[in-house]
Amino acid sequence: MRMGNSGVRITLAAVLAGGLTLHLSAQPPQSSAPAEQTRNPLTGDAQAISKGAVLFRQECVFCHGVGARGGMRGPDLTTGSWTHGGSDADLRQTITDGVAGTAMPPNTLKTDEIWQIIAYLRTVQQAAPPAVGDQARGETLFFGTARCSTCHIVNGRGGRLGPELSTVGSARSRAYLVESIRQPAKQLTQIRAFGGDGLKYDTVTAVTADGRTIVGVPMNEDTFTLQVMDQSERVYSFDKKSLKSVRHENRSLMPAYDAARLPDADLDNLVAYLQSLRSTASVRKGGSHENH
Amino acid sequence: MRITDRVLLVLCLVAAPVAAQVTPERLANAPAEPQQWLMYSGAYDGTRFSPLDQINKTNVQRLSLQWVFQTGVRGRHETTPLVIDGIMYLTTPQNHAYAVDTRTGRPLWHYQRALPKEMSLCCGPQNRGFAALGDRLFMGTLDAHVVSLDAKTGRVRWDVAAADADKGYSFTGAPLVVKDKIIVGVAGGEYGVRGFIDAYETESGKRAWRLYTIPGEGEKGNDTWKGDSWKRGGAPTWVTGSYDPKLNLLYWGTGNPGPQMYGANRLGDNLYSDSLLAIDPDTGTLKWHFQFTPHDVHDWDSTHTPILFDDTIAGQPRKLVAVANRNGFFYVLDRATGAYLLGKPYTQVTWAKEIDGNGRPVLLPNTDPTAEGNRVCPSGTGGTNWHSPSFSPRTRLVYFFSYEQCDTFMSDEKLEPPYQPGRLFIGSAFFPLPEERQASKVRAVDPKTGNVRWEFDEFADAWAGVSSTAGGLVFAGDGQGNLIALDADTGKDLWHMQLGAPIHTAAVSYAADGRQQIAIVAGDAVFAFALPKEP
Repeated sequence: MRMGNSGVRITLAAVLAGGLTLHLSAQPPQSSAPAEQTRNPLTGDAQAISKGAVLFRQECVFCHGVGARGGMRGPDLTTGSWTHGGSDADLRQTITDGVAGTAMPPNTLKTDEIWQIIAYLRTVQQAAPPAVGDQARGETLFFGTARCSTCHIVNGRGGRLGPELSTVGSARSRAYLVESIRQPAKQLTQIRAFGGDGLKYDTVTAVTADGRTIVGVPMNEDTFTLQVMDQSERVYSFDKKSLKSVRHENRSLMPAYDAARLPDADLDNLVAYLQSLRSTASVRKGGSHENH
Repeated sequence: MRITDRVLLVLCLVAAPVAAQVTPERLANAPAEPQQWLMYSGAYDGTRFSPLDQINKTNVQRLSLQWVFQTGVRGRHETTPLVIDGIMYLTTPQNHAYAVDTRTGRPLWHYQRALPKEMSLCCGPQNRGFAALGDRLFMGTLDAHVVSLDAKTGRVRWDVAAADADKGYSFTGAPLVVKDKIIVGVAGGEYGVRGFIDAYETESGKRAWRLYTIPGEGEKGNDTWKGDSWKRGGAPTWVTGSYDPKLNLLYWGTGNPGPQMYGANRLGDNLYSDSLLAIDPDTGTLKWHFQFTPHDVHDWDSTHTPILFDDTIAGQPRKLVAVANRNGFFYVLDRATGAYLLGKPYTQVTWAKEIDGNGRPVLLPNTDPTAEGNRVCPSGTGGTNWHSPSFSPRTRLVYFFSYEQCDTFMSDEKLEPPYQPGRLFIGSAFFPLPEERQASKVRAVDPKTGNVRWEFDEFADAWAGVSSTAGGLVFAGDGQGNLIALDADTGKDLWHMQLGAPIHTAAVSYAADGRQQIAIVAGDAVFAFALPKEP
């Protein structure tokens, strides 16, 4: 029965499945990851790794991408840096319970299946590559001439139009960061605040009945309404029917930073800075600040 | 849990004059009691059509909220509530259930099943509803039992184990009562089960028959499976079927063959996966079958609710069944014989050129999943999915929810999993291309021609079914929480209400205190609407 069946696992599991713990009457939420086993008993077990690879493809690939190298919604899991903790116990908890406030759903996988997936993930995890580029120069570029901070916030500094980048070094590989800077339209980041597949950091152009054109990024949308932030960070709420036109463009509002705009050496510096942006503590308790 | 005096009073006031006993006759004549919602699809014909017309095209804008019932159970609520003599019977994820007074929204009892900690559920701990007979309710459970509850108290009357949950069997669909039997379909197509449809005696819970959806050794059709792949070939039956009392035929859809996207070890047509089965409900004998997607490798379960209707074709009156299939084609068959009459795409289809005169798809090359991935339309989710369709005898149109999406399908020998009981048996993946935008639509198809009469665009991620009413309305939902009333003739949206959480089921309609209500589950709550009371 996959009703979306894989679609479900995939779409639903991620978006909706939520309901694994019940909150009825005075029952405390069940914690499905008891603390007794904190080390993966299957680490390095060839058979477990191969089963984990199969499970990963079935359960995780939609968000985390082929080979765990990251996808539209899920972070790259090969970077060796883990936003919600990288110990076996942390990964098990993240897989079991999901991460509140993100697209990572709770899962009903069995314990040994989770260990198999973790065993597989350990085989694709890379040692951090030697840094190329100058992190400090990258930071100067980010907040200075490259104008990244016009739209991106890092640790409380910067604009609000684009995704927050305070922990992007944990979530994205170097290759992904380079692609996002050189060709930002190639993989538009999903807006995860509300779970669904439909919202991403694309460009919306709305023309009002009195002829004004508003260009911005969607904050939310349903069949009848649209909420948009424009480039001056003003927030609009529209009834779609009241608009003369509304158009989603499958591109990012972010300009493509080609070699003329950002020479290779500067690109290296900027990426070095972005890769240095890693979480220092789990944000599990406080929830994510992925968006807004 | 206790029924208070106040509630008793209410129930006496709203209870229909007939005794509060559901009989097989009442079920067969469900459209004659539009104030009830007696079974999953409203009536045996699977049309999810309410003959009530108090709420109509001209006054639907005045719909107002009557009550909200919060279930307190987190998760995707796919349930269709039943409404019998003023009381709503509602299941939720994790096999909770409630009885709710439809006049006030106040709960009367609560049932909760103790479930094993680890279960093999591909798609979450869902349940789609009850069936009712006498003063009893029937539910299939996530751990593959069938239970009978006392409708007055929610207490268990009997509880029988139907299958081994450790081997991946579970029940998520609503059962269907036919005469003195409960018919229930099984889930587990992702776990290498051998699908079946079961019938149980309503009084005792004793199993009356089982029809395996995959023929066993020596049975006709077994040779459509390579080797012993039939033993774990899936073909589950997880959505409620329909029934024609005059022909005495039960119609039930079957799901994907397993492993669903790797077919090399199960070469052949894989009967009776992705099929519509016509069954004698007294004996469980298969009368005819029609397979929509032979040797499916794209997870296109055909578990849709079959829509039974009559019409004249080429001057001849025919008894028909319509199915908008997950594989992208809309089909009409003769429901007495299973003869193929029509098959037409309602969405983008890249895997088959057309359906030939015998009802078999004419395949296009290079559409199987590969190691690198192959882009095919419709997606693995399908052009539509299990979401309830509807048919209005007034407009003569079939309404259903549909997707516009293609997927990249991957599978290869290397990742073909060995069969292990209770473990996923899929061997593959599918996902949309990041640069493509998914669209959701409600479509109205003329079953005489297969042509799309109108379509209504919804924002992405919609997962709701539809229902239609004699008031000329189609009720739909979107993935962001809007309950939407559409003009059944034109598809124009006449009214909507944002309910604050995604809708994963279809509306039901009934009457309380003589007033038509429309109830829908959004998020974890039931919302009931009606026209304002006259001053």
